[in-house]
Amino acid sequence: MKLTNPNNKNTLSWLWLVALTVVSTYVGIFLELLNTQKSLFIAIVLFIVFLKGQQIIDIFMELEHAPKFWRRLLLAYVILLPIIIGLIYLL
Amino acid sequence: MDNTISIDTQTVLVKTNKKLILENRLPGDLAMWFFILAELTVFAILFIGFAVSEQLNPEMFVQGKAKLHQITGLINTLTLITSSFFVALALTKMHQGYGKQAAKLLVVAKLVASIYIGVKIWEYLSLFELGIDIETNTFFTLYFMITFFHLMHVLLGMVILIFVALKAAKNEYNESNISGFESGASYWHMVDLLWIILFPLIYVI
Repeated sequence: MKLTNPNNKNTLSWLWLVALTVVSTYVGIFLELLNTQKSLFIAIVLFIVFLKGQQIIDIFMELEHAPKFWRRLLLAYVILLPIIIGLIYLL
Repeated sequence: MDNTISIDTQTVLVKTNKKLILENRLPGDLAMWFFILAELTVFAILFIGFAVSEQLNPEMFVQGKAKLHQITGLINTLTLITSSFFVALALTKMHQGYGKQAAKLLVVAKLVASIYIGVKIWEYLSLFELGIDIETNTFFTLYFMITFFHLMHVLLGMVILIFVALKAAKNEYNESNISGFESGASYWHMVDLLWIILFPLIYVI
């Protein structure tokens, strides 16, 4: 059992967050070249929001080992809010 | 046997090699988590309001977003993520009992976050030079309102981290009294969490 995240876990999480940030910034340009629909672009960007949020909640906020209620509550935020925003844009 | 285990309904405490390890516990004060939930709710309303307004005024929002510098949004995302990373490292050090090292990492986190503040001020000033302000149109009203509200949270987070760093430097935290540090760190991560939704919503989509 571990209370704290080892430094390498924090570092891996940080690198993953940086990579996702760069991808979400420039994925639009890439998809434009492929002539794909904007709805796919929005879906990808919002899915990346969830991936990044999950890292911050589980690793940085250390809720991975917290009571399930609190972890699920915070995770629900980064699942439901992107879904609501996505529905507003796509419907 | 040097392992002692006490069990209640919520928390399992295990003492291993004289280091207290906690599982299934909420980091920080419960009050801070209610405060975080309240903040997240307010921002959720703002984000949804922004998305609805964009659907009602698509042309205005496309033109408004074109006037923003996406690169500044990218830089600010990277600075907040990196700042959060250093706060996470600081908390790890604090759990290990190294208060002074934790304080130094918090100083680094604040220095990185100060880049965010500088970039944000530059972004505002460059928009003002173009004659754009909060009254220009609905897009910029929401842009200034949401980003300035977030900036205020960054500043409050930095003030909290200053107090936490000062206490950490004096070794006033220990394994049985660390919730103040954890609460400050959690608040800072919330600021980061909000930005990772704000950035794609206002700058990218």
